[in-house]
Amino acid sequence: MSMPSARSQSPIQAPPVVVARALTKTYDTGGTQVHALAGVDVDFHRGAFTAIMGPSGSGKSTLMHCLAGLDVPTSGSVHLGRTQITGMRDGDLTLLRRDRIGFIFQSFNLLPMLTAEQNILLPSQIAKRKVDPARFDHIVDVVGLRDRLGHLPTKLSGGQQQRVAVARALLNAPEVVYADEPTGNLDSRSGAEILAFLRDSARDLNQTIVMVTHDPVAASYADRVVFLRDGRLVDEVSDPTAELVSERLLKLEA
Amino acid sequence: MLRTTLAGLRLHKARYVTTTLAILLGVMFISGTMVFADTLKASYEKSVMGSASSVDTIATPEIPEPQDGTWEDPEPFTQEQLDQIRDLPEVADADGVRQGPGLLLDSEGRAFSHVPPEAMAVEEVTRYEITEGELPDSYDEMVLATTISDQTGFEVGDSVTVLDAEQQEQEFTVTGLLDVEVGSELSYRGAFILTPEAFASVTGAEGYHEIDALAADGTSEEDLATAVAGVLGEGADVKTSTEFGDEMAAQAGASADMIRTGLMLFALIAVFVAGIVIYNTFAILVAQRQREMALLRCVGAKRGQVFRSMLTESFVVGLVASTLGVLAGVGLGMVGFRFVGPLMGEDMDVATVISPTAVIIGLTVGVTITVFSAMVPAMRATRVPPLAALSTSATAAGMEKGTGKLRAVMGILLFLVSGGIVVLGLQGDPDSSAMWIVAVGAIVAFLGVVVLGPLLVRAIVGLIGVPLRHVGVPSRLAVDNSTRSPRRAATAMIALTVGATLITGYSVINATMQESIAQELDGKYPVDYQLSPMLDLESPDAEGEGTEETPEEVGGTDLSTIPESVRSDLSSRSEIDQVFAQRSDSVDSGDDRIANDDGTVPVSTYVGATVGEEVEVDVVKGDLTDFGPGSVLITEGRAESLEAGDTISLGDPEHEFEIAAVVAGTGMFYGVNLDPADYEQVVPEITGDSSVMVRGSDSASSSELREAVYSAVDDHPTLNVMSMGEMRQQFEDMLDIAFYAIAAMLGLAIIIAVFGISNTMALSVLERTRESAILRALGLNKAQMRRMLGVEAVLLCLIGAGIGVLLGVVFGWAAISATLPNIVFGFPIGQVATFLAIAIVAGLVASLLPARRAARTSITGALASQ
Repeated sequence: MSMPSARSQSPIQAPPVVVARALTKTYDTGGTQVHALAGVDVDFHRGAFTAIMGPSGSGKSTLMHCLAGLDVPTSGSVHLGRTQITGMRDGDLTLLRRDRIGFIFQSFNLLPMLTAEQNILLPSQIAKRKVDPARFDHIVDVVGLRDRLGHLPTKLSGGQQQRVAVARALLNAPEVVYADEPTGNLDSRSGAEILAFLRDSARDLNQTIVMVTHDPVAASYADRVVFLRDGRLVDEVSDPTAELVSERLLKLEA
Repeated sequence: MLRTTLAGLRLHKARYVTTTLAILLGVMFISGTMVFADTLKASYEKSVMGSASSVDTIATPEIPEPQDGTWEDPEPFTQEQLDQIRDLPEVADADGVRQGPGLLLDSEGRAFSHVPPEAMAVEEVTRYEITEGELPDSYDEMVLATTISDQTGFEVGDSVTVLDAEQQEQEFTVTGLLDVEVGSELSYRGAFILTPEAFASVTGAEGYHEIDALAADGTSEEDLATAVAGVLGEGADVKTSTEFGDEMAAQAGASADMIRTGLMLFALIAVFVAGIVIYNTFAILVAQRQREMALLRCVGAKRGQVFRSMLTESFVVGLVASTLGVLAGVGLGMVGFRFVGPLMGEDMDVATVISPTAVIIGLTVGVTITVFSAMVPAMRATRVPPLAALSTSATAAGMEKGTGKLRAVMGILLFLVSGGIVVLGLQGDPDSSAMWIVAVGAIVAFLGVVVLGPLLVRAIVGLIGVPLRHVGVPSRLAVDNSTRSPRRAATAMIALTVGATLITGYSVINATMQESIAQELDGKYPVDYQLSPMLDLESPDAEGEGTEETPEEVGGTDLSTIPESVRSDLSSRSEIDQVFAQRSDSVDSGDDRIANDDGTVPVSTYVGATVGEEVEVDVVKGDLTDFGPGSVLITEGRAESLEAGDTISLGDPEHEFEIAAVVAGTGMFYGVNLDPADYEQVVPEITGDSSVMVRGSDSASSSELREAVYSAVDDHPTLNVMSMGEMRQQFEDMLDIAFYAIAAMLGLAIIIAVFGISNTMALSVLERTRESAILRALGLNKAQMRRMLGVEAVLLCLIGAGIGVLLGVVFGWAAISATLPNIVFGFPIGQVATFLAIAIVAGLVASLLPARRAARTSITGALASQ
């Protein structure tokens, strides 16, 4: 990592980039109300790599969608920096996502008709933003895609596809990157590579990253792990190890 | 299995909405045509049946076999024959119908049409029934055929002028209207009924054109007919009223059947396009439901069962859509008859005819085309291996693989074959059979487009994509999307190509005809007015070279030529710059190299004009400057092996002439053209001019010129004055009406194709739900999303229409140059621009619903479901 980085404090003590307060999300499914989120308060700090964990149905994906402005919470508020994103209209949310947020999904991250390079540049082009060629080259080299830039996604392995997605998310140095099970479909070696990129970019580029995962090993790459159950934040671990996370998780599911 | 199929159908019914509409529209057109034509036929038959039932036997003189290609008028029955019939014991009463050309003047005092209508006189026993008012019972009363009344505006109570045999004007009051049967001579020539006394004074014609008889008590129609036939002998055509009615009904029905055939042609085009749309829909559905099919195979369904399941599905869709289509068609036929019937002179008291055939044909065609179109996709469905159910790849994963060299080779081969056929069609003299050769060439080229379609889509999108990519991200994505499944895109677009080719082809033919006419009329010395004498339509081969239209003699006065006084009167007027005349006749010739079978040769001359200047001519062989006294011009067809410099003889006594030049036969040149002085030598009796051409002076306004021309012919009401401007306008109007009618008929095929494109887009959007969600997550807003799909649909439509326009221009031009000689190519630039504009609008319309759906998809929902 050649990028210079000035780290004055531990990432967890840095000012929060994303702040959620009293977040609830209720679904109406045929008369019965399901509380996907039942009042969540959580902060994510600049330069921190945070994992959100929880059993299936704990609401972790819903939380991420609400934080990212993809979904609208039933009540509560979400701030990105100084901007309150809850209550924003769709058009403004689109601009916010485009300009200030990066995304990495589990699979089908890429548009099949665009090459790797076109996929990486897509958000900038949608935003008609100039891309810093030095940063582009740096990121491409870091994720090791230099000789794959002209390939269509179908010609890339799963790990390579995810690296394209990581490069795309990081290119514009968004205020926060959301990753939804980014290693869910990968073999363990490719998964480890992706997680290492994410961890390094948090450390070296001061990139804020929020990752949803159910894999304790994946979570162990993060600076902090928050645990969700039944739509509530129930536990939190700093500087986690895989064993520690597994143990907490088992306790939650018991 | 059936239950699974039906359950699947219920689940996916939204996906079949547009397919259903496509089938429905096609079937609607077919059934509508049947109902319309059946009702029209019933209405025609009703009107003619009524007219024959009031008498028992109808006798008409038999039309003699044509001699030497000319039709003789039939010999009318005599008074004596009528009296003999009246004396028959089988006859209760009998009367004759007199008929002869009568010159009727319109409200401006000019002869009605340039073919005189038939004046008639009927007595008590007649099959003619008056629809409104009464038969004339005093000398100054008349009944007008509705056809004349419609064209002139004369109504019951109006006063109408008729020229009698001495060319004197006589006034008559209209007391009633006569509805003549559709398709008969009376209906297109027009007719009016006078009292026998007035008839005799107007026409001077003798004898009866028809004898109608009533049977005595106890005598059957057949016995009566036999008895009448016995009196009239050879040369009479005697029918019972039932036979006569049936025959007329068959004639009238034939014209309804012609309309049916014409409409059916367009209906079949619409159904063909619907077939393409259905094929594409099923192909896409099979691709999307691969896992579903595989799962069926996994749980034990055999290939045959999967195949049958798909066919059942298409059968149900086809049946439902066709049933709705037949219902809509019945409605269309009824509405069509309500609106179009009155224009065809049919009254509305006929009940709509819904024949079982109309229903069965609609259902059969609809279901067959659906099942047939679904056949190939269903075959493909059977090839899905059971393992596909377990594979994690989603349906949209694979991009279609490259579309092979074989395809390119086949496509190019087809184009070459088509080119060869067209070249073949253009060889030799233009005639209508060459047009069919060109049509075959067009079909082969269309197959070439079908085969090359995917490559064409990719190539064209690659080309127009270059600038489009720089417009913005939505356009760039649209360009990429449109080539993702080239085969799918090609099929969608080809449906549109069909309609676009046909419309453009016709529009090129139309423009070329207009251009050619304009070119001919605007020659170096444009003629503003042309005067011609009355025509008689009774010589059917009037257009053939060698036989000029035989001018009619009405009541003994010669009206077949234009008196010379008219020409001198015209030349004396200051508004008129130039007047020249054509004289023509037929002379005897002992020269059998040039003479017709009857030993005559048509000759003509131009008086007051120089051939090669005012009168344009195409010289084939020889030199026009050699033409003068003592020499002639001869048409190519008549000259055969004769060359310029050869000598021919004409006239009786014979005169010898040297051929100055061989020229192309045109409306201005036929037979042998002579110098005016020679013409006077050869033609013994010259009565006047055959036609007079007038060119106005530049200083005279068109109304002044018109005034001058009309006042010169004021004393000659039978002369037909034709303004070239008006004629051209009429001709263009006629062509335009034909164009709009054909465009409207093809419009349905185009609407169906647009449905197909919309459907393809909608199904693609369904496939790309997750992609849309990612794009939205990455910051593409709803408007951009809609724009992306809009551009994709417009691209498809433009390519489809563009290829159609190209094919249409090439084959339209080829068709008309193979059919007609001396044409000037006209490119309907305005219309082509309109088609392309319509294609853009159609693309936008087609993308409306799919785009709405794509933009409204919930991002989180799409991301979650995979």
